[in-house]
Parts: sequence; structure tokens; C-alpha cells
Amino acid sequence: MMAGALLLVSTQACLAEFSGTWVQEWAVAMPLSDHESQKFESVIEPQWRQELGESHLTARFRVRLDSVGKLGPAVQKPENYSFLNGPWFNNERAELSLRELYVDGEQYGHDYLPDMEWRLGKQQVVWGQADGLKVLDVVNPQSYREFILDQFEDSRIPLWMVNLTLPVTDHSALQILWIPDTTYHELAETGTPYQMTSPELVPRPGSLAAQQVRLFAPDKPANFVKDSDVGLRYASFWEGWDLTINYLYQTLNLPVLYQHRTAQGVDIRPEYERSHLVGGSASNVLGDFTLRAEVGYRTDTYVVTRDTSHGGIAQQAEIASVIGLDWQGLSNTLISGQWFQSHLFNYQQATVRDQSDHSLSLLIRRDFVNETWRAECLALHSLNNGDGLMRPKLSHSLLSALEVWVGADVFYGNHEGIYGQFDQQDRLVMGLEWGF
Amino acid sequence: MREDPVSVLSSNTAGFFRFVVNYPKSLVLLSLLVFVGTLSFLPKLVKDTRSDAFLEETNPALVYRDKVKAQFGLSDPIVIAIVNDGANGIYNASTLALVERLTIQVSALPNVDADRVVSLATENNIVGSEDGMDVTPFFDPLPQTATAIASLRAAIDDFPLYQGSLVARNGKATLIAVEMIDEHQVESTYQAILALVDQAPVRAEEKLYVAGEGAIAGYLGSYIDSDAKRLNPLAGVFITLIIIYAFRRFSPGLLGNVIIAASVLMTLAIMAASGVPFYVITNAMPVILIGISVADAIHIFSHYFELQAAQPGRDRKALVVESMLAMWRPVTLTTLTTAAGFLGLYFAAYMPPFKYFGLFTALGVMIAWVYTMVFLPAAMALMKLGVSKHFIRVHKAAKIDVFSRLMQLLGRISLYRAPVTIMVFVGLSVFGALAASQLQVDENRIGTFHASEPIVAADQVLNGYFNGSNNLDIVIETAQPEDLFLPENLRKMEALQTYAESLPHVTSTTSIVDYLKQMNRSLNGGAESEYTLPQTKELIAQYFLIYSASGNPTDFQEEVDYDYRLANIRVTLNDGHFQQDKPVVEALQNYIDQQFNAPGISANLSGRVNLNHHWIKDLGASHFAGLGLALFLVWIVSSLLFRSVVAGFYALIPVASAILLVYAAMVEMGVSLGIGTSMFASVAIGLGVDFAIHTIDRLRTLYQSNNANLQQALDEFYPSTGRALFFNFLAIAGGFGVLMSSKVVPLNNFGTIVVLSVTASFIASMTLLPALIKVFQPAFITGKTEAGNAGIALAKPLSLVFAVAAVSWASLTPPAEAASLSASDLAQTDVPLTDLPQADWIVTQINQQDDGEFVSQRMTMRMVDKQGKSRERETVGYRKYFGDEKRTILFYNEPANVKGTAFLTFDYADAKQDDDQWLYLPALRKVRRISAADRGDYFLGTDFTYEDIKKERKVEAADYHFTTLQQKQVDGQLAYQVDAVPVSTAIAEELGYGRYQFWVRADNWVIFAADYWDTKGNPLKSFSAEDIRQVDGIWTRHKVTIKNHKTGHQTFFDVSDVDYKTPVKDNLFTQRTMQRGL
Repeated sequence: MMAGALLLVSTQACLAEFSGTWVQEWAVAMPLSDHESQKFESVIEPQWRQELGESHLTARFRVRLDSVGKLGPAVQKPENYSFLNGPWFNNERAELSLRELYVDGEQYGHDYLPDMEWRLGKQQVVWGQADGLKVLDVVNPQSYREFILDQFEDSRIPLWMVNLTLPVTDHSALQILWIPDTTYHELAETGTPYQMTSPELVPRPGSLAAQQVRLFAPDKPANFVKDSDVGLRYASFWEGWDLTINYLYQTLNLPVLYQHRTAQGVDIRPEYERSHLVGGSASNVLGDFTLRAEVGYRTDTYVVTRDTSHGGIAQQAEIASVIGLDWQGLSNTLISGQWFQSHLFNYQQATVRDQSDHSLSLLIRRDFVNETWRAECLALHSLNNGDGLMRPKLSHSLLSALEVWVGADVFYGNHEGIYGQFDQQDRLVMGLEWGF
Repeated sequence: MREDPVSVLSSNTAGFFRFVVNYPKSLVLLSLLVFVGTLSFLPKLVKDTRSDAFLEETNPALVYRDKVKAQFGLSDPIVIAIVNDGANGIYNASTLALVERLTIQVSALPNVDADRVVSLATENNIVGSEDGMDVTPFFDPLPQTATAIASLRAAIDDFPLYQGSLVARNGKATLIAVEMIDEHQVESTYQAILALVDQAPVRAEEKLYVAGEGAIAGYLGSYIDSDAKRLNPLAGVFITLIIIYAFRRFSPGLLGNVIIAASVLMTLAIMAASGVPFYVITNAMPVILIGISVADAIHIFSHYFELQAAQPGRDRKALVVESMLAMWRPVTLTTLTTAAGFLGLYFAAYMPPFKYFGLFTALGVMIAWVYTMVFLPAAMALMKLGVSKHFIRVHKAAKIDVFSRLMQLLGRISLYRAPVTIMVFVGLSVFGALAASQLQVDENRIGTFHASEPIVAADQVLNGYFNGSNNLDIVIETAQPEDLFLPENLRKMEALQTYAESLPHVTSTTSIVDYLKQMNRSLNGGAESEYTLPQTKELIAQYFLIYSASGNPTDFQEEVDYDYRLANIRVTLNDGHFQQDKPVVEALQNYIDQQFNAPGISANLSGRVNLNHHWIKDLGASHFAGLGLALFLVWIVSSLLFRSVVAGFYALIPVASAILLVYAAMVEMGVSLGIGTSMFASVAIGLGVDFAIHTIDRLRTLYQSNNANLQQALDEFYPSTGRALFFNFLAIAGGFGVLMSSKVVPLNNFGTIVVLSVTASFIASMTLLPALIKVFQPAFITGKTEAGNAGIALAKPLSLVFAVAAVSWASLTPPAEAASLSASDLAQTDVPLTDLPQADWIVTQINQQDDGEFVSQRMTMRMVDKQGKSRERETVGYRKYFGDEKRTILFYNEPANVKGTAFLTFDYADAKQDDDQWLYLPALRKVRRISAADRGDYFLGTDFTYEDIKKERKVEAADYHFTTLQQKQVDGQLAYQVDAVPVSTAIAEELGYGRYQFWVRADNWVIFAADYWDTKGNPLKSFSAEDIRQVDGIWTRHKVTIKNHKTGHQTFFDVSDVDYKTPVKDNLFTQRTMQRGL
């Protein structure tokens, strides 16, 4: 495909644009007295954009070099990737991959075909209105090698897909997605700082420490038709409201860790399950406030339970929602609060996570000196576990294309919680981004 | 080691209260110091009882009315009516002398505009004479003989304009209309006029009345003062008595009063400090705060005394800590929900008095909470309050006193057949909902006063003897100076007046047309048939000339402008009710749109009646929006607090049913939704939900402590918590009940309705809510206990709510000083600049220049700071008109780290509708809806404001008063300098400019240089444009520079590849394109 595209380009001699970014970031574990670096990482992402008649081809590559090498993964290709996807070269210190490769095109006023716009190839699709925690933004899987500390744009794993948009009216359009790529979440490798340990996610097979626990490789779906994901989104701008209705039929991005008791101990056999997600989002501006909301109903979620009768897993429906309010009443200032909640139906007492899960987020941001300085603090807090994450950051735009920053990522609270599990991984971050 | 956050928090709380009781003296002293310190702002509090205060200063109807007022010199006068019921009415020597005497005395008063006092003693008669027309004062000399008086009467009877306006049609009354120089000083002027009237020598058949909108505004101030002085102590005393009765001790009453004082006075002081005036409706706030602020203390005292009665020997400090630990949570919950209810009013209301009422009452509630949490336990520890013997006796006698028994009975009745209780409420609610649909919005300014007030009688006199005291102005605007000499224009006005007079409640209309008819008649021998408009333009011009030769040139100032381009028709109505005036305003507007407006002539409605129409017409919508928002906020807060969405709904059920019942009651009692009554819903929600929250919280705890036996929990609930809630209810109902004795009618209605709704909420919380819980056994009562956890849950939303409150607070602008400034601004437009073109005309030229239906262009933005460090951004922008709607999209191309950023704006034709804006950030891969930035905010780090960018080459005419300053040749072309001063302080604050002066070329109407000053008058920015040339026939600026003098920062825009010809696709202006990129 790449070769074909290149050939096309060479024969057409159309406009081409090259650009790229280089992000250099140094993370030091806190307390600083330990002198322990977590990463010293260069990420270079060159981008190439080519006009192909009425269409555009975009390709983005990633070169990552980390002189510390603690964050992993060490393997050439982690097992979450499909045969179509995954890095071209990878070890704990270096990665070379094709991030995105897609063709944008459109078709208007055809005799038989409806008006439509398309983007075909490896890409990211973002749904929903929420920041930081995800309800509808689940089309692409995510890499958790740095938990949620790197930008979603960088941690989201682009997938090969067909993405069609059919305009319905001036202000509304239907998006259709077909995703044959069977790539799922990439979790931090065992032994790296952001390995998941929260019992809400990882089953703890009772007090059977003496017994043998065997973890099997997951039974990964690989049929690109049968196991593909399908998504629909109708988006409309109506009476000042941005509204969407979303539907996604997908393979869940995390394998379900079924436990099987054997004479020797416990076997954990991960399996990927499928589920329907129906939801919608809305946003509007009310004076200085912007209201954002989204809700998603998932027919099947698989949660860890203490009741071992069904492999230690309970299958339940879930409804999750977010209400967010951004306030921009003061010049150069944004204050944004969000309330996330998720609720399990047919809750069973043995389930490890609570029936209702509530989290809050608060972002305070202010720009100074003609937007050359920015101070911000993002706080995420889980009400159920009393744990959370604070992310203060100060950044400065030094030159047109050069930005530098210093910040911190501080986890706190219950060690069994999603955030609290990383209480020992607090870090100070310094970085720069240069655009070329 | 894993910390248990729950125990950490509860031990922190215990630690806090232990700290409080261990250092009681310091904390009591500190509380009092903060109190006294804040009070120092109180003297700055100002009153604003004008009805204009109900509209935002930037409201177009108000801005226009002020322009009209300035143009025609109109104002809301104070009117003295002189009534003589004798046979000859006012036509006798002594009454006429009284008119003259009062006119002279009134004219000499300070703040009275002597040139604008109108009475028989100041007005002129127009009669034909040999050399044309004689304009002579009626009182020249004062008619004293029977003949002179008879001829005066004949002259008046012959002058239709004065009948019903200056003299009653039956000749039994006449009036003196007094206009003021500064309407903000209306109260003292009104008092001075009252004093004059009191001293006037009045004979038996003569009566004097003082009325008019000016009098209403003037009297309202002192009326409200005296009402407040009576109400507030009454509420305080009532509540103190309740506390003393409940606990049989004096000290709790005293402490309650300290909290009341802190809450009420500190709130008023903070209002004063932030420049928010005391409006008519603010009067309700102290009484409300008195009721609410003491309720929390009642619960704490109740718990403390119960503990003491049960464990007489225990250390009292420990008991205080224990009481606080038990009560801090529900007390905080109720405070939050009450504050949320009032904040709902703040967010939903569009009228400043309501907004501030909501905001500051919420603040007052929070202050009361702080004092209840800190001062109260400290003072209790200091005073070592002992329980009364009566209380112990009751406690020992199996804890049942008459109130407990009463509540038990209520519980038994409602729970005996719980489904029946529920059905009864469902039925009542359905009935209420049906009734609510009948609710009507209505308001009448004079209705603010009690019917026994003299001003009400005076108003009746004015509307009975004369045409009425309610004015509606119709401003006629023609294209060119002297267009009003055109007979066809005058005939249109005449037809409009005839139509207006055919409408109900319209008693008269006055305009230049009537004067012309009178002149025509005088000049043509005075025949009735000659009361018609002159036929030709020349004749009309002549009439004015002749008049000015003999009369005062300013006589027609109220009817027509200096160059005969604008005219005013004053329509007088004899009823001030919104419902009565609404059809008139709507019919006139319809007539103007359908039949009057034509090329070259247009009309606009203005004046008091139109203004009142504008703010009252949205009252209903505002009320329901406030209701919805308050319900929503309270639901969110209670859901978060109980960690259950369902519990949030349960908490709302009693208040929702109470509100429906109140609607039903209002319809039954014939009370309409007016200023006072529309506030009730937010208040009722904020207060009413407290009962539900205490009920749910207590039942949950009791369910746990009774080993999951719901019936036992319910049995235990009524005598203890039920009793405390009953006293809580009494305190609140009593506090608001005091309002029922208010003489300010809207407050009286408000008090009645709130008492009704709080009573209904209380009863529903005691009957319906337990019945629902009994029948449905919801999970938030019976589920896993999370009682301790809720503490954690509380801490976070608490900070959120505080954040919301704090930011709302920060966004306030002091509106009090604005009005006087805008008045002086307005005066500047009157400066005649005869040899320079009118500035308004220049601005029209600028705004009429073609800027293309669509355009695409590249733009390099360069931003340079004062050290010379520069940043560059390359963008591509598109703009297209969709009808009157303008859409703009801007894409960033360079540098690479902002590449892909896109900014989309829909700018609507209706200036009142905010722009819709979206920002696409490639790092988020998501289009974000953003609030349309304040117009004066700087655009993406440049030195241009959003308003500068949006207006492009145009100037918002409605924002400024313009004056042409000078003209000169620039590059061989004539150019004008125009001075633009924002029409009000509020607009100036919004734009960030106190003044703006620009140079514009007369050949292409492009602004090529400008200076800006900040709102304090300091130089702010300088703008210049170069390389101005035509592209596709449209004048385009290719280089613009703006320098900020304060920061030394500069912005350069270099525009290239401008194209007005290549069509821009409609679908470019979509969120899809933002995501896809160009």
C-alpha cells in the first residue's frame, strides 16, 4: 500500500508538505533525593501530507528513543496488536512505527452515490465530549505504558479502518465506521512502573498464595470480518446544541481474565468478549459556561468478582455518563469541572468494584503575557476509593515553534484504587517540544 | 500501609471541633473581629429603586430608551395634581394662583430642572394674529378677573393638545409636571416636593396629589426602608422566641441572633463592597436569611441538649464536639442545597436585581454556615450551656413531649396506608400541574404599594382626571434632515396616532402633528374644520419659522429634533398593568412593521410602558428556567451527597409537589406571577429540600442502627428528628411569615407563597417521603452503608460548589456607578458640529461598504514582545455570509506544533444571540465547544480583541456615541477623525475601551489608523493599516499593526492571497472540516 501510494505521488508531482515535531521529556521519580529517572525520551514524529488530486494522503511516523528504558515494552511486538498493526521495531529503548496513514476524500453531487466524505487507512477516531476519563471515546484502544500520563493523542492506538461521513443536512451528518483491525489495549508490561495492580482490574485468586497461578496467553480474535467493530454516529447542531447519538458494536479492548481452578492451582485464561455501546453526547454554551455531557450504555461489561463460580467474573450491563462545566468568565482563564459516574445493573454483592462509581475532575488553567505562559492544574479524584491524581504544569512558548514546560504527576490515596495503585510513581517532568 | 481515607476524614473533623472548643475565646473573638471588619463596608451600600434597574444596562430597549430620552429631553416626571371639585373646577383665581405659586416654588428646588417644569403657568397659547401667529403664555398675566379666567378656559378648551394632559377634560384638575436633573436623587426631590405641597395654602374644595413614575421611584426608597425597619426586628424577635421556647433557655436565642447578624449584615456589607446596590426586592433577603441562618443552630442545640439530658454528668465540651460531629454533615448538606437553590436563581435570572438576590442570599447562607461551624461550638463551649430542667423532664418522661407526639401522630396517619398517602399526593400534584398552566404573568408598578398609601390614591387621580400616568414613546426616524416637513411623512404619523388612539387604554397621543394642526387652525381663523395638517412642505417649514419668531425655540424639543429628522409621538395610557398594556405594545409594533415602516421613514417603540413590557414579558420564562435550574442543581448536589442519583430524586419529590401545590394556590387566590412571586420557586426549593435531606439522612442512619428494620427506624424517626424538623419548619415559616405583614405588596405575596410552599414541603417530607421509602424500600436506604464514605464525597463537591460560587462572584461588575457616567456620555452627542459630516453618517458609510459575500485569505500573525522576541503563526481563513449570519473559519498551518488548530465561529444577525464558537485542538483530536469569549478578551495571544477580529473593518454602531472631531487630507484624500465613546460603563468594561478614536478615508471608508484608551482613560493601543488596495473591487487592508502601550507587545497581520471571487463551499464551515483539516 505504501509503495503504491509513493508511486502515485511520483507520477502526479502534486503538492507535498513535510512537517514534524520533536518532543523531549525527562521524568524523574519523586522524591527527587532518589535520583531516579523514569524516562529521558525523545519522540520524533515526522508527518508527510500529499495532495492526490481532490484527495489527501497523510502519513505519520514515530521514532521513540529512551535512554532510561524503564517503561517497556521489551518485546518486539506486544500481543495486543493485530497482524496489521504494531511497531515495526521495538525494544525498551527504541521504537519505530507507522502512527497513521490515511487518505481523505469526498464525493459531492454524484448522480447515484450519496454525498460523502471518507478517511480510509490507519487513523484515530475520537467520540464524546469528556476530557480525561472515557465514556464514548473507546473506538481506538489505548496504550497504558505510561498509564494516562501521556497525551491521549499519543497513547491512543490508531487502527486500520473505513471511516465514512454522510452529510444529512447543513448541520448534521452520519458517520459510519468499519474497523477490521483486531488490536486492543496495550497494558504496561509486568515489572514496569505503570503495571496495573488494582483489584478492580486484576483478579486476586483468594488466599491461594501457595497454589500455582498460571497466566495463559489470551485467545485473541483474529478474523477481520467476524471480529471487526462497527460504529455509527449521528452528529447534529441544533438550536445551539451540539448533539450526537452513538452506537458501537465492538470487541472489548481489555481481555476478560477468567479464573479456572485446577488441582494444581488457578489458571487465568484471558478471553476477549464483545459488547454493544449505545450513547450520546451534548454540549452547549450558557453564557460564560460550556456544558458538556455524554452518556453511554454498554450491554455487557465483565467485572472481577469474589464469587469464583463463573470464572471469577460477573457479566453485567453498565451505564456511564459525564457532566462537565467549563467556565471562561475571566479573561485568559478556564475552569473546568467534570463529574463522571458509572453504574452497574444487576449488581452482585461479591463484585469487587462498587455498583456506582463516581469521579470528579477539575482543571484550572490560566494564560499570561499574550498566551506565552500557561499555568494549569488538573485534578482527578475517585470518590469511591478516595484516590486521585494531581497534575500541575507550567509551560512557556519560548519561540514560535518551541515550547518548554515543567510539571508534576502526583498520585494519592487508596492503593487499591485506579490512581492510588501508582502512589509510589509520583514524578517531576520537564520537557520541550519543537515543531519543524 | 494503606490509609483509610474515611477514618482520616472523620478524625480530622473531630480534631477540628476539638480545636474549636479548646480555643473558644480566640475563635469567638476572631469571629467577631471578622464580623466587625466586614461591617466597615456597610455605609457604602446604595439603594436603587428605579424600575430601570430591572434591566441590564446593556439591554437594547433600555439603551434605546436612554438615547430617546437624551434626544428629546424626556424623563419620568413627578406630577403634582391640583384638583378642585367646585363648580368651576380649577377655573377660579385662587386655584390658578396656587398653580403659579407651586410652579415657582417647585422650580426653585434643587435638582429640579426649572426649564422643564410644565404647568398652566409655564405653557403658551397659540393664536392667529395679523402678522401670523401669537405665542403667549396663558399666565401673562395671572388671570384674576372673571373675564380673564373665562378667556383662559376658552383658550384651553380650544387647544385639544392640553386637554387631558395639562388640564382635566372636565376642568376639575390641572397638573404640574416636574422633571429632574439627576434621576438618581429622586428620593430627596420627592420629599422636598411633598414638603412644599404640605405647606401650600389649600382651600376646602382643593386637593393636592403627588404622583407619576418619578414619585413612585422617589417614594419607593423610603417606603422600603420603613418596611425593612419594621420587618427585620420582627423576624428576629419571632425566631428568638421560638428558640427560647424550644429549649427553655435564653442563651441559645442570643447565639442564634449573633449568627443572624453575621449572616445578614456581612452579606449586605459585601454587597456594598462590590458595588451592588440594594434593589426593591433585596428587602426580602434579610428576612430570608434570618429564617435560614438560624435553622442549623436549632438542630445543633437540639442534639446537644438531648445528649446532655441523657448523660448529665459528661463534660460539656465533649458534648459540644459530639453534637457537632453528629450534625455537621446534614447541616452542611442543607446549606449546600439551599445555596444551590439560590445560585439557580442567579444563573437563570436575566434581571440584575434577581441575579444579585440569588447570589448574595447564597453567600449569606454560606456565611451562616461558617459561623455555625466555628463560632457556635466555640461560644457553646465558652458559655457551657446547661440544659433546662423542663427539657430533662421531657427527656426522662420517655422523650415524648407534645410536639414529638404530634409528629408521631403525623407519621402514623401517613404510614398506616402508605400507598394511599402516595396516591393523595399524586392527585394533588396533578391538580397543581393543571392549575399551573393557568398561571398568568402580570405586574403593575403602582401595585408595589399598599392600597392605603396616598400615592396609590394619587395615581388613581392621575389616571381618572387626566389621560393617565403611563407613557409609551414612538420615535419616528426619517432619512434626511427636514424630511419631517414632508406632508406624506406627517400624514403617516397622523394615521399612526389615529390607530394608537383606537387601542384600549390609550387615552391620548401627542406629537408635532398636533401642534401643526393647532397652528394651521390658529392661522386660518380658528375654525374647527381647519384643525388639519398643512398641505405643502413649504407651508410646514413656514409654520415652524413663524412659531420660532414668537415662541421659545425649545418648545418642541420633546416632539422633534433640531434638524427635523426625528420626531416623537407620546402615547398615554391609563393602565399600568402588563396584561393590559401588552396588546397595545404588540398591536403598535405590528402596525409599525406592517404598515408604517417604509423606505425613508421608520418607527421604534420606546418609553416606560415599552420598557416595562420588555422586562416583564420574559418574567415567566425566567421563572421556569430558574425553577428548572434550581431543581437541577439541588438534584446534582443531593445526588453527590447521598452518592445516589435516585436519592437525589427522592429529595426533590417533596419540593416538587409543594411547588405544584403553590401554583394551584396562586391560581385560586388570583395571584399572578410578578416580580415578587416569581422568586419564590428557587427559594422554596432551596429551603424545602432541607426537610427531605434531613429525613433521608436520618432514616438511613436509623435503618443501620435498628438492624435493618425499616419500621423501627420510622418509629424512632418521628419523635426525635421529626420534632427538630418541626421547630426548623416553624423558624423558617415564621421568618417568612413576617413578610406577610409587609406593606410592600410583592414582598407580602412572596412571603405568603413561600410560607405555603415550605409548609407543603415540610408536610410532604414528613408524610409522602417516608411513605415512598416504606413502599419502595430504595437501595440508598437499605443498601450497603456508605455513611462514613459520604464524608469524603462531601469534601469534593463542596470545593466544586465553592469554586462555582467564587467564580460567579469574581465575574460581578459593579453596576451602580454606570448610569451617571452614561448620562454624561450621552450629552456629548448633542454638540452641534455643523461643518463636519455627522459621525453617525460616517459610521453608516463604513458599515455599508461591501466586504464580499465570501473571502479566503492567508494571514501571517507576528507577535513581538517588548524585548523584541517574536512568534509567528501562519493561517488560512475563510469567511462567508449565510443570509445575515456570518461564519468564519481559521486554520493554523505553521509552526508544526500548532498545525491543524482550527477556530470556527457562527456570528448571528441578532446581536443578542451569542456567537457559537468551536476550537479544534489537534492534540485532543476533538472539536471543543467554547464559550463565546468576552468581546474584550484578547484573540489567541494577539493584541486584537475578539470584537476587533469579528468586526473586521466595521464598527458596532450600537456600542458607541460618535462625534466627528476633524477632517484633513491624507495622501491626497479627505479623511475624518471620529471619536467613539461607549454608550455605557458596562459596554466600556465589556469592550475594554473607555474611548476609541479612528481615522477613516472618505473615498473608500476604510479605517486606517486608530487609538484606544482603557476604561480609566489611559492610552491603551494604537492601530494602523497599510497597503490598502482594491482586490476584486473591494478595498482591503493588507498590513495591519497594533501596539499595546501598556505591555509594549505588538501584533502584525500580513494578509495575502485575498480572494473574493472563488466561491467558498458551505461545508467548509463545519466541525467535520475542522477535524479533517483543509
